[in-house]
Amino acid sequence: MSSVIALFKIVPDDTLIRITQTGLDLNVPYKISTYDKNAIEEAVRMKEKYSLKAMGITAGVTDRKSIREALAMGLDEVVAIEMREMDIQTTAENIAEQVKGLSPKLIIGGETTTDSSGGVFIPYLASLLNYPIITYVKSLTLIEDKVRAERNLTSFTQTVESELPAIVSVVGEINTPRIPGVKQILESQKKPVKTINSTAIPKVKITAITPYTIQRKKVVIEGKMDEAVDKLLQYLKGEGVL
Amino acid sequence: MSSTVVIYSEDVDYIKTGIASTKGKTIVISPREVRLGDENHVINEIDEQLIAEYIARLKPDLVLTGSSKRDKTVAGLTAGLLRVPIIPDVIELSENKAKRVVYSGMAIAELEFSYPIVITLVKKNTDIRENPDCKIIKADLSGNSKVKVVEEKHKEGGSIDLSSAQIIVSVGRGVGSKENVKYAEELANALGGAVGGSRPVTAELGWLPEDRQIGLSGTKVKPKLYIALGISGQPQHLAGIKDSKIIVAVNKDKNAPIVENADYTIIGDVIEFCKVFAQKVKGI
Repeated sequence: MSSVIALFKIVPDDTLIRITQTGLDLNVPYKISTYDKNAIEEAVRMKEKYSLKAMGITAGVTDRKSIREALAMGLDEVVAIEMREMDIQTTAENIAEQVKGLSPKLIIGGETTTDSSGGVFIPYLASLLNYPIITYVKSLTLIEDKVRAERNLTSFTQTVESELPAIVSVVGEINTPRIPGVKQILESQKKPVKTINSTAIPKVKITAITPYTIQRKKVVIEGKMDEAVDKLLQYLKGEGVL
Repeated sequence: MSSTVVIYSEDVDYIKTGIASTKGKTIVISPREVRLGDENHVINEIDEQLIAEYIARLKPDLVLTGSSKRDKTVAGLTAGLLRVPIIPDVIELSENKAKRVVYSGMAIAELEFSYPIVITLVKKNTDIRENPDCKIIKADLSGNSKVKVVEEKHKEGGSIDLSSAQIIVSVGRGVGSKENVKYAEELANALGGAVGGSRPVTAELGWLPEDRQIGLSGTKVKPKLYIALGISGQPQHLAGIKDSKIIVAVNKDKNAPIVENADYTIIGDVIEFCKVFAQKVKGI
């Protein structure tokens, strides 16, 4: 049975990360990176529509709860590559290694992740696999041995076609990720998770992470709208922006 | 060190940023003749994979690209072909160190790397001029394109470049409906600004075209005045407005995260604010 692969990254929940006096508090629960959930959803839709097996590959933190969520959303199996340190190159090399054994029809990833927000990972992997690549996809169809996709390139859209196997990155508007029910969550416990340990050493080293703060004035104006706007206008004139 | 530096972007401002970020001989690759760098290779079409193959054949020690969507696709493909490291969205580059923004705009990471490498740059204002001695070379993108373009749709009347707008009125779910967006448009007109929106409003609800999306996915903006109407302030949105000079928020909810991230917040109704503000601005 041919397969579709969803790539996803498990990241510290960016809605919970706080800047504290001592730095960035990253000791927060993990989640599946926002647009990677769209990738999982799209892979599951492909599975339902074209009777494919839906595989998932994740690299980095292998948080069980997040992997279970991906399985509950409908992936059949997940390969989890544990990496203590990672950069784009070592991650792509490790994932390419796993893809080779699976020979999928299609690989789907998110356009960018909420932790490192690069947007270059999927193209890197495409070169390693020598697959055609379509980035920033907002709609996706399989037609026989081809994939047809609509790309959101900000100022314009492009409809493209390529042969399979291919790799795509999806944007948030492609779908709304499903929220699994109790039944799916229970079933997910029986689905296979294969864990691999990678000891690859990244060539790009992070030497420091410091909070990026811009001090905002945080002035709150309450009261009647007419008076509030007058106050605001005064402030804005004082700032020299009006 | 004799090294080959290749700079590629669809956008001449990124090419200038690249030239300002490096010393020594540079090969500039661009879809139009820009007369920048020591050599300017002018390509006849934008096929990301063929451009990446072309760059890789030059055996570069350093590749600098822009950070637009297609630029980044070229950058990732090139790094993969060369099997070298890549660092995207670099805001500061020196020798073997780079800085970039991480965690949805909440932190800056400092990185150390070795050459060869591919780097995508964040756009900066530079005073780089054309090089009169620049050698122009017509680049032949030979090879088979793996991805065929079937159709391209450009917006009627062109699209608005939010990344260079000085005043932005931005709408979120809190404006209530698609019909209400017109109040934001009227305010933007009165202020001489542009209208943008959050991800829910642009990508999910379709109240505004997708090219108006501001945030992590979408355009990053740096106006002198950013007015966030009914935007709660999710990190993905805040990541795109961090470089604004002054942020004004209008929100019913005093506890919305945007309040902590704004200079001035008016607690109240967005539509009423638009009407009153537009009226007063017109009266100035």
